Amino acid sequence: MDISFIAMQFLSGLMMATLLFLVASGLTLIFGVGNVFNFAHGSFYMLGAYLAYQAVSVWHANFWLSVLVASVGAGIFGMLAEFLFLRRIYGRAEEGGFQILLTYSFILVIDDLVKLVWGTEYKSLPRPTGLTGTAEIFGLSIPSYNLAIIGIGLVIVVIAWLVLSRTRSGRIARAAALDREMLGSLGINVPLTMTVVFGIATAMGGFAGALAAPLRSVSPGAGIEVIIDSLIVVVIGGMGNFWGAWLGALILGEVNSFAVATFPEWASLFSYLVMVLTLIFKPEGIFASRKIRRI
Amino acid sequence: MSRSKYFCVMALALVAALVCSIPVYAQEKIIKIGALYPMTGRAGLYGLDSVDAAEMAIEEINSKGGVNGYKLELTNTDSKAKPDYSVMVAKRYITQDKTHFLFGVVSSAVGLALTEVSKQYKKIFIGTDHASTQLTTDKFQPYYFRVSNNTFQSMAAGALYLKELQQTKPWETIAYIGPDYAYGHDQWQELKYNLDRFGVKYKSVGEYWPKLFAPDYTAFITSIINDKPDILVAGFWGGDTVAFIKQAQPYGLFKKTLYFHPDAGGNYELMSAMGSELPEGLVLSARHHNNWPETALNKEYVEKFFKRTGRYPTYAAEGAYAGIYAIAEAVKKVGNPDDTEALVKALEGLKIQLPEDPEGFTSYIDPETHQIVQVQAIGLTKPNDKFPPAKMMLGDWKIYKAEDLLPPKDYAERLKKK
Amino acid sequence: MKKSLFNKDIIFWGLFVVVFGSVPFLKQSDYHLMLANSILIWGMFAVAFNMLFGVTGMLSFGQALYYGLGAYSVGLVVKNYGPSLFLPAIGLGVVLAVITSILVGLLVIRLSGVYFTVLTLAFGQLAWQITFRWYHFTGGDDGIQGIMPSGVLENHTVYYYFTFVLVILAIWFLRRVANSPMGLVLRCIRQNPERVRFLGRRVRRNQLRIYVISSFFAALAGGLMTGVTNSIHPDMFYWTTSGEVILMAVLGGIGQFFGPFIGATVIIIIQDVVGARTEYWSLIIGLIMMVMVLGMPRGLVGEIRGLKARFAPGRMSRG
Repeated sequence: MDISFIAMQFLSGLMMATLLFLVASGLTLIFGVGNVFNFAHGSFYMLGAYLAYQAVSVWHANFWLSVLVASVGAGIFGMLAEFLFLRRIYGRAEEGGFQILLTYSFILVIDDLVKLVWGTEYKSLPRPTGLTGTAEIFGLSIPSYNLAIIGIGLVIVVIAWLVLSRTRSGRIARAAALDREMLGSLGINVPLTMTVVFGIATAMGGFAGALAAPLRSVSPGAGIEVIIDSLIVVVIGGMGNFWGAWLGALILGEVNSFAVATFPEWASLFSYLVMVLTLIFKPEGIFASRKIRRI
Repeated sequence: MSRSKYFCVMALALVAALVCSIPVYAQEKIIKIGALYPMTGRAGLYGLDSVDAAEMAIEEINSKGGVNGYKLELTNTDSKAKPDYSVMVAKRYITQDKTHFLFGVVSSAVGLALTEVSKQYKKIFIGTDHASTQLTTDKFQPYYFRVSNNTFQSMAAGALYLKELQQTKPWETIAYIGPDYAYGHDQWQELKYNLDRFGVKYKSVGEYWPKLFAPDYTAFITSIINDKPDILVAGFWGGDTVAFIKQAQPYGLFKKTLYFHPDAGGNYELMSAMGSELPEGLVLSARHHNNWPETALNKEYVEKFFKRTGRYPTYAAEGAYAGIYAIAEAVKKVGNPDDTEALVKALEGLKIQLPEDPEGFTSYIDPETHQIVQVQAIGLTKPNDKFPPAKMMLGDWKIYKAEDLLPPKDYAERLKKK
Repeated sequence: MKKSLFNKDIIFWGLFVVVFGSVPFLKQSDYHLMLANSILIWGMFAVAFNMLFGVTGMLSFGQALYYGLGAYSVGLVVKNYGPSLFLPAIGLGVVLAVITSILVGLLVIRLSGVYFTVLTLAFGQLAWQITFRWYHFTGGDDGIQGIMPSGVLENHTVYYYFTFVLVILAIWFLRRVANSPMGLVLRCIRQNPERVRFLGRRVRRNQLRIYVISSFFAALAGGLMTGVTNSIHPDMFYWTTSGEVILMAVLGGIGQFFGPFIGATVIIIIQDVVGARTEYWSLIIGLIMMVMVLGMPRGLVGEIRGLKARFAPGRMSRG
């Protein structure tokens, strides 16, 4: 295995990691802040991909504009879902169970709604103009769109870090993760915060879907494949922890990439292997977001 | 919202579902066909196309007065691509609805489960779109018939293509990528078997097994590029083909390596999903092509389907269309749809002119394996916008005679031993 | 109190035996028998699952692991060693499930709440991936077909009564567990695990016990199901299978012992009716689920009981 091949596989892994992270970050955000496990997060990813398709192919919008449309659209749907449905079960006994059931029902409903609107045909988006070719760095040829995605992933990490640690809203969000009631008594509108955070999380799902659309095929059921992968990412990284999602995605992407290069026969089992090892030695994930009640 | 309102919503939803279709009990003579196509998820498009084409065939036949005074009638239940659920529905079809034929199925797993039901209840099962060779070899049972090619036939044609290619453009190394389940593995085994059978010399430099429906192929692509195969054989279907080609194209994979995908690669949904993004010069095939053969029958079939649905058909559609005509022909010979044993005899060796038959050839069902015998055409992607939204279609056809593609007699034994 | 509980049980058991016992005489076709048989098996699965969720408060999203394990034990044994070993194979599946559930259980009960749920989901998916991938052994995505029980059980009616008796025994046993001191401890764990610990009861040991018991019956359900559909497939391990059993429990009512059984009955009938009439079944199941979670969290049985309590004279109602 020569050095340029190793570099190439590393970049492939990074590419996979970035897309995994973009999806998983929304999942982990809403869990970390709102304590909501959104099993339907993948469906918002799918919705984003379809909205981007709608904007580009039907409304003939520019690709980047359509990414915006997809993120905002998925965010609005997310806020509606939170406001109309999820909000009603907060604080109920067995809330966790009901959350999973309710969001599971979102998966079923969104899957069929998407089918009603866009049909069952596979949809696909062209790459944005200017990023259809190949870029050369250090003698390696990488598709420029892949490089752009890796770059966007890094920008998102930096922005998220700035928002979470340096702004008032970020501090509110982190406080909400720790103690919702206390935050309420401090005069913060907690229900509004929850809706907004849910909207941001689902918008991130939609954003990931729109960015991935030029690389993948969009069809009903696309959400289910990504939710399971994102789940593995957050389980490895630690549920509710933003950096955990980043690290989990990176580990998963790179392990997969090098497994493909070295043991292609068994590559599909490696992500589960990593997960099981994590679960055995650190069941709460590499970064536990807070002290988990161990009983 | 109060609780009672929720009750109302639920009640309305249920009523709407029930009212959707109340079964009509007619007194006329009817040939009942119970279909199980998936209508949701990744294979939903094939299910939809199949049902549309089957209904199209039924209308054609019924408008001409049906068969021997019988009208055809199709009921489809979403199989959800789940074998256990499909078995339940099939048993309902047979014991409750008294259907005469089981029909359809996209997934091989569902096909394998249903052929067992068909054997148990001695009801004919017409397979239209599942490719596992097992059904007509080692898992063969007398009530099963398949009216579309299986993977063995596609791979035999593929091996012949590669053999010819070696004479014009010498190649040595080959790699394979396909989904990590039976369908993907069968194709690679069958291709290697056929290459050996036809005496083709080759060196395999890599085998790759991504998960079915894997979203990301980047690591596979860079690894394949590192292997530098002359030929890359692919065994994907549906959206996976789209995703793989989209991701591989900017890496320049198709400039260095010939992309060869003889079973499901040439299916129309690839062309329609990718439009002008589909690279030129990929070698693909499928079980039916919208632009080959250029017979009146094929043109009429494709046009009619387009008028009916507003989209061009995938190959799944033609399988279902063929299945309905096979049933009609068999019932015409026997005179009624109730005598199963006579119908089996009638279907064995049945000759039937289908849209995918070129001039001078008629598809027929092999009486020994109950597998339809058809010509296979392999083509190259070329610009062609006659079937929008596709911008590329296949051309430069190479045609392979049906008889050359059949598995040898001992093949079933070979599979059983494994 | 003791007496009214007894009365309720009598009503359930009476109805249960009469309705399910008479199916083979009233059925119009083999299909009805099969439907009733699946209701029995899924009903048992759901009741056993609810011992975990409704009683102890542990939402496992991975019970498909044991359901699949039970089914695959039967499928693989029958395929490799012949149908005469059908019954021992069910036993084998159950034993394997107990062993696996102890090992997995020790890992997953370290966490609680949603973490527990996600861990069980992860292990279920792992089992699915292995079954799917290990095709030389399991048959992969093709699954295994033609699994028939041997001897008298080959007859569908006999097989039906065989499962009927087993399901009665299983539910009776689970009822005993629920009403035993252990059941009481489990209920306390759901409400306040700390206090249980202060009272000198071991929380984890009881959690593990009920996890193993629940998994035992999940595997039994999987094994019995192979005799009904005669085929198995990796989907039996998939998370949607776990999802289905959760839905049954919630629909029937997780606070009621027999609720999940009613839930299983309703879901299987809805799936049959809706599936036969529309391809938009997932929309309809999704809407039903939404309505249940939001509007009727106590489930069908719980809500009906609540209505009765509200209109009963001279009683305080919780409204």
